[in-house]
Amino acid sequence: AAAEFSRMRLSGVEPNHVTFVTLLSGCADSNISFGASIHGYARKLCFDTSNVMVGTALVAMYAKRGLVDVARLVFDDIKEKNSVSWNTMIDGYMRNGKVRDAVEVFDEMPERDAVSWTALIGGFVKRRRFEEALEWFREMQVSSVEPDYVTVIAVLAACADLGTVGLGLWMNRFIMNRKFKDNVKISNSLIDMYSRCGCIEFARQVFERMPNRTLVSWNSIIVGFAVNGHAEEALKFFNLMQREGFKPDGVSFTGALTACSHAGLVEEGLLLFENMKRVHGIRHRIEHYGCIVDLYSRAGRLEDALNVIEYMPMKPNEVVLGSLLAACRTHGDITLAERLMKYLSDLDPGGDSNYVLLANMYAAVGKWDGAGKVRKTMKALGIQKTPGFSSIEIDCNIHEFVAGDKSHVDKNCIYSMLELLSSELKASGYVPGNTLYEND
Amino acid sequence: QITDVKLTSISDLRTLCREGKVKEAIELMDKEGVKADADCFCALFELCGKLKSLENAKRVHDFFLQSTWRGDLQLINKVIEMHGKCASMTDARRVFDHMADRSIDSWNLMINGYADNGLGDDGLQLFEQMREQGLKPDSRTFLALFSACGSADAVEEAFIHFDSMKTEYGISPELEHYLGILGVFGMCGHLNEAEEYIAKLPFEPTAVVWDALRDYARIHGDVDREDRAEELMVSLDPSKAVSNKIPTPPPKKRTAISMLDGKNRIIEYINPTLYKDDEKLKALAAMKDSGYVPDTRYVLHDIDQEAKEQALLYHSERLAIAYGLISTPARTPLRIIKNLRVCGDCHNAIKIMSKIVGRELIVRDNKRFHHFKDGKCSCGDYW
Amino acid sequence: SFATPEDAAAERRRRKRRLRIEPPLSSLHRNQQQQQQSPPPPQRNPNAPKLPDHVSALTGNRLNLHNKILTLIRENDLEEAALYTRHSIYSNCRPTIFTVNSVLNALLRQSKYSDLLSLHRFITQAGVAPNIITHNLVFQTYLDCRKPDTAMEHYKQLINDAPFSPSPTTYRILVKGLVDNNRLERALELKEEMSEKGLAPDPTVYHYLMAGCVRNSDVDKVFDLYEELKGKLGGFVEDGVVYGSLMKAYFLKGMEKEAMEIFEEAVGAGYFLKGIKKESMETFEEALAENSSVKMSAVAYNSVLDALSKNGKFDEALKLFDRMKKEHNPPRRLAVNLGTFNVIAEGYCAQGRFRDAIEVFRTMGDYRCSPDTLSFNVLIEQLCNNGMLGEAEALYGEMGEKGVNPDEFTFGLLMDTCFKENRPDDAAGYFRKMVDSKLRPNLAVYNRLVDGLVKVGKVDEAKSFFDLMVKKLKMDVPSYKFIMKALSESGKLDEVLNVVDTMLDDDGVEFNEEVQEFVKGELRKEGREDELAKLIEEKERQKAEAKAKEAEAAEAAKRSARAAVSSLLPSKLFGSKESTESGSAEANGSPTVGEASSTESSSSDSDAERIKDETSA
Repeated sequence: AAAEFSRMRLSGVEPNHVTFVTLLSGCADSNISFGASIHGYARKLCFDTSNVMVGTALVAMYAKRGLVDVARLVFDDIKEKNSVSWNTMIDGYMRNGKVRDAVEVFDEMPERDAVSWTALIGGFVKRRRFEEALEWFREMQVSSVEPDYVTVIAVLAACADLGTVGLGLWMNRFIMNRKFKDNVKISNSLIDMYSRCGCIEFARQVFERMPNRTLVSWNSIIVGFAVNGHAEEALKFFNLMQREGFKPDGVSFTGALTACSHAGLVEEGLLLFENMKRVHGIRHRIEHYGCIVDLYSRAGRLEDALNVIEYMPMKPNEVVLGSLLAACRTHGDITLAERLMKYLSDLDPGGDSNYVLLANMYAAVGKWDGAGKVRKTMKALGIQKTPGFSSIEIDCNIHEFVAGDKSHVDKNCIYSMLELLSSELKASGYVPGNTLYEND
Repeated sequence: QITDVKLTSISDLRTLCREGKVKEAIELMDKEGVKADADCFCALFELCGKLKSLENAKRVHDFFLQSTWRGDLQLINKVIEMHGKCASMTDARRVFDHMADRSIDSWNLMINGYADNGLGDDGLQLFEQMREQGLKPDSRTFLALFSACGSADAVEEAFIHFDSMKTEYGISPELEHYLGILGVFGMCGHLNEAEEYIAKLPFEPTAVVWDALRDYARIHGDVDREDRAEELMVSLDPSKAVSNKIPTPPPKKRTAISMLDGKNRIIEYINPTLYKDDEKLKALAAMKDSGYVPDTRYVLHDIDQEAKEQALLYHSERLAIAYGLISTPARTPLRIIKNLRVCGDCHNAIKIMSKIVGRELIVRDNKRFHHFKDGKCSCGDYW
Repeated sequence: SFATPEDAAAERRRRKRRLRIEPPLSSLHRNQQQQQQSPPPPQRNPNAPKLPDHVSALTGNRLNLHNKILTLIRENDLEEAALYTRHSIYSNCRPTIFTVNSVLNALLRQSKYSDLLSLHRFITQAGVAPNIITHNLVFQTYLDCRKPDTAMEHYKQLINDAPFSPSPTTYRILVKGLVDNNRLERALELKEEMSEKGLAPDPTVYHYLMAGCVRNSDVDKVFDLYEELKGKLGGFVEDGVVYGSLMKAYFLKGMEKEAMEIFEEAVGAGYFLKGIKKESMETFEEALAENSSVKMSAVAYNSVLDALSKNGKFDEALKLFDRMKKEHNPPRRLAVNLGTFNVIAEGYCAQGRFRDAIEVFRTMGDYRCSPDTLSFNVLIEQLCNNGMLGEAEALYGEMGEKGVNPDEFTFGLLMDTCFKENRPDDAAGYFRKMVDSKLRPNLAVYNRLVDGLVKVGKVDEAKSFFDLMVKKLKMDVPSYKFIMKALSESGKLDEVLNVVDTMLDDDGVEFNEEVQEFVKGELRKEGREDELAKLIEEKERQKAEAKAKEAEAAEAAKRSARAAVSSLLPSKLFGSKESTESGSAEANGSPTVGEASSTESSSSDSDAERIKDETSA
C-alpha cells in the first residue's frame, strides 16, 4: 500500500480523504513511522483537523500503536468531532489502560451511543475489571441506551468471570427478546458463561438450541463439560463434533484431554495425545503436555509424569511443574516435592502458591520445622501470599469474603452458621486437617 | 377555581384510598399538599396496618398530626391499632402515652397489640395499670387480656382474670371468652389441657371450638389430636369437611392404651448389637460420644496469629458458603468463586458439608470446578 | 413453696425476668421523658436461655415450610420430613420450633427414638429454642427407652433454666414413666412438686401412682392416695380413671385376708354386680351407677375391666364390656379402645376360650379400633402355646392385611411352634421371611433353627442358613462347633473344612486349641486329620503373603519415587534446555476454567473492528 501511495504521489494525483483513511488503517497494523509521515502529509493538506474521518483514523492508528497521548493531541485538533471520533478515543484510552482518561472522555462526550458504552464496558472487561464493567452496564440500562450484541458479549464475559449466574440468566432472558438472539457468538458466550458458572446443564441447553454452530461452540461445550467434571459428556461431544464434520483444534484436544484426566482414562488420553499430532497434524503445545502430566499425576504415576516433563520439546513452565508438585501433595511424596521446589523457585521466584503448597505438605505430616523454613524463605525473598478470597452471588449482588472476614453486615449470622456447621462436621466424623494457608 | 382543584384532589385521594394505593395517596398529600379527611385517614390507617409497612404508617401518622383531626379519639385509636399491626409497639405506646384522654378501646387495642407482637407481659402490665387507675375493663378487654396471656405463656393468670371477670366485674363469659381461654392453652402448647378444658365447658362444644383445637393441634404438630378434632368438627358441621385429606398412617406406639404393660417380649428375640454390619455404626457412635475436639495447638505450632485465624474455620470459602446458606432457600445449589486453589482441609470439609446441608455446592477455584454433592466431589478428590 | 394460681403466675414472671437485665418496657413515669426518641430495647441477658418462637412466628415462608412438613408427616415420609427440617436450618427460612416439634412428635409416634434424639440434638445445637412440647416429647422418649435418670436430669434442666414452667402434661408423662420404670418413690415426690408449683391435683397422675402401688402390692398407699385426692377435690373424685386401681387394691387386700370367705359370699349372688368384695363393689357401683356423676373414659373403663377380669369376675367383665360397646359412639363418645379388646381377649384366653378370644379380637374393627403388633403377638403366643398353630397362622396372615408388621417375636414364636408341630420346612420359612424383612433375630433364635433342622436330618438346609447368617450375625464357638459336628456326622468333611476356613477368617471368634482338637477328632474318623494342619498353614501363608505384598507395594512406590527424582535431578531439564517455544511460555500447562473464553478471542476485538469499519465507511 505504501508503494502504491508513493506511485500515486509521483504521478501527481492528489490523495483525497478516502486514500488517507485507507492508508492509515493499514499503517496501524504495520508501519508507524510511515503512518507518521502520512500524518505529516495530511497535516499539510489540513485533512487531519478539518476532515473528521482522517482525524479519527489517525487517532485510531496512534492509539493502536500505544501512542495514546499523541492520539489525544490529534483528537483535540479535530475541529468537528463526530461520535466515531469520541468512541475511537475512548477505545484508545481503554486499549492503553488509561481507564480514568477513558471515563473522562466518555463523560465529556456530547451524546453517547451504544458503541460508546460498549467501548467503555468492553474496555473494563478487557482490563479484567469486571465488576466495574457490570456497574457501567447498569448505568447504560438506566440511561436507556439499547445494548447491541457486542455489548452483550462483553457483559457475558464479565458474568462468566465473576460467576454471577443470576445476572447471566437475566442477560439470557434479555437476549431472547432481541433480534440478535440467534447470533452464534452470543450463544457461544452464553455457553461459556453458563459453564464457567458451573451451570453446565444450561450451557448444554443453549448449545442444543443453536441453529448453527461453529468450532468455538463445540470447543466451549467440550471444555465446559470437562472442567465441570463431566468427562463422559465431554468425550461424547468431542466425538460428535467430528462426526458432524468439524475438525478439532488444539483447544478441542485440551478439553478432551482434561476430560480423560478427570475420568482417569490414562490410556485413552495418551492415544488422543498421539493421534492429535499423527492423525490431525496439530502441534502439541505446552498445555497439552500439561494435560498429560496431569493425567499421569492423577493416576498416581508420578514417575511417568516426570518423564513427560523431561522429554517434552519445550522448557516446562511453572504451571506444569506446579501441577506435578500438587500431585506430590496428593500422593504425599515430600522428597520429590522438595526437589521440584528448588527448580520452581528459579523458574518462578515470586510465585507464592508453590511455597504455600510445600508448607502445607510439611504441615500435613507434622514436619513443623520444614513448614517454618519455607515460611522463613518466603519472608527472606519478600514473597507475599496472595490473599485468598471467595465470592458468592445472591440476588445478583456479589458478596466477597476473605479469611476471617468480619466486615459483612450479617457477620453474626454467618459466624453462628459456621459454628453450627463445624460442630455438625465434627459430629459426622470430619477431622480438621493441618492446612496452614488458604490455598495450597 | 382553587376550591375546584381541591375538590378534585380530595376525590382523587378518596379513590386512591378505596383502591388501596397507599404509596400514591401519600405522594398526593406530600407533593400536592392535599389534606385528607377523617374517612381517608381511617382508610389509610387500616391499609397501612394491613400491609404491615411501618414506614408508610409513620408518614401517614405525620400527616395526621398536622391535620385538624389530630384530636379525634376514634382516629387516634386507629393509629394505635395501625402501629400494633406494623409490629411497632414502641410507636403505639408513644401515641398512647400522649393521649389526653383514652377510651376503653385505647386500652384494649394496646393490650391486643402487645399480645399480637409476642409481648404479652407488657400487655398484662398495662392491664394492671388500667386497674390501678380504677378503670373498668369491658368484655373486649378480657378478650385482649386472654390473648396477652396466651402470648406470655401465662396459663394460670388467664384463669385468675377469667374468675375476676365474673366475680369482680360481673361480666358473664360468652363463647368468645371460652375460646379465648382455649387459645391460651393452645398458644402455650398445652394441648392436652385444652382438650380437657373443652370436655369441661358448661355447654356442648360447637364446631367452632373443635375448629380452634384442630388449628392449635396443627400448629404444634399433633396429628392424632388434629384428626380427632377435625372429625368432631365435621360431625357437627359437615360443611367443614376437608376434601382429599391424606389419611394419617397408624402409630406404631400405643402403650398408653394397649393395657398390655410388660407383655412386650421382643427383647428375647432381637439383639441389635451383635450384627456385623453394626460395627461401623458403633464406631461412629463412639466417636460422636467422645465429642471430637480439634487440637488447635498443634495445628498452629510455629505459625503466627494471622495464620491462626485462618487455620481451621474461617477460610473465605467457608464464609461465602455460610452466607450463601442463610440467604437462599433450602436445597438450592450455591456457587462459590475462589481466586486460589481450594485447600485440602476445606475441600474435605465442604464435601461433608454438602451432605449435611443437603445442597449442591459448586466451587470454582482458579484451577477447576468442584461440584460437591452428597458428600462427594466431582473432582474425585484430586485437584 | 406456693400453691395458688397467683403464686404460679409470680413464678412464671420470675422465670421470664431472668431473660432480661432490665425490667420490661413500662410504665407510667415514662410520660415524663417524652422527648426521648425510642427507648433502647430491653437488654437480653446473654447467659439466659432463648425464648421459644411465639405462635405469630408461623407466617409467610415459615408457615409454608410448616405445612410442607406436616404433609410429609401425613405421608409418613419421616426421613424426608426430618431431613428437610435439618436442611431448612441451613437456609433463609429456619424452621420454627412448631415445625420441629411436629417432626419429633411424628418420630415418637413411630417409635423412632434415635432419629428423634438426633434431631433434638441438632436443633439444640442450631439454637432453635425448645418449648414445653419439645421438652415433653423428649421426656417421653427417654422414659420409653427406659432411661428414667436421663429424663430426670432433663427435668432438672427444665426447672432450672427454662423460661417457662412445666405443664400438667409434663407431670403426667414423668409420673407414668417413672412408675413404669420402677421409680415409684421419685414419682410420688414429683406429685408433691406438682402441687408446690400451684398445679391442680390431677386424677390421671394419681391413677398412675395408684396403679404403681397396686403393682407393688402396697395396698395402703393406694387407699392413702385415693383419700388424698378425694380430700383435695372436695370429697368426690369425678374422674373415673382412679377407680380401677382402687378395686384392684381391695381385691388384693381381700386376697391377703379372707379371700376364700369373700369368694364364698360372692357365689350365689345373682344380681349383676354382686359377689365382689363389698368395698370393691361399692366402689364399682359408685363409679358405674347409671346416674353417677363419675365420668368414665375408655381408659377408666379398661382399668375397671382389667380389675374384674383378672380377679375371677370375667362374667361381670363381659357384661361391662357389652355396656361399654353400647355406649361407644364415635367420634363423640369413645368408650372402648384397643386396650378394651386386649383385656377381653386375654380374659377369654385365661378361660381357655381361645376361639372367643379370636372372635372378639376380630370385631375390634367394628369399633374403629386397630390392633398393633404387640396385641397380635400376645394372642398368637396364647394360641401357639395351646396347640392352635393353624389359628395363630391365620392371625399372622391378618397382620399383613391390616398393615401391621410382624416383628422378631412374631416370627420366632411361629418358628419355634412349627418345629414343635414337626413342620421344619415352615419353621425355616418363617426364619427366612424374618431375615428377608430386614429384621434381626439373635444368635439364640438362629441356634434353635439349625438345631431343629439338624434334628430332622436337614443338614444341608442348616448349612445354607449358616452360610446366610455367618455374614451377618456374630457367631460364637459353640455355634461353629454345632454346624461342624452336624456336617461331620453326615459325612461331609469337605464342608467341615470349609467352615473351618470361614472361622479362620472370622476376626470375632478365636480358633483355639479346643476347637482344633474337636475338628481333628472329627476328621480323624476318615483319617483326614492332617488336612486341618494343612489348611491352617495355608491360611497363615496367605495372610503372610498379603501382608508382604502390601509392604512390597509401599516399598516399590517409595523406590520408584526415589528413582524418579534422582533421574530427574542431573538432567538437562531445568537448566540447559533452551525454550523451544518462547511464545507459549505464558500458556498454562494445564487447562483452566478460563480456557474456553480464550477461544472467543475473535469476538473480543469485534468492537474495535467495527469502529474501524465505521471509520472507513
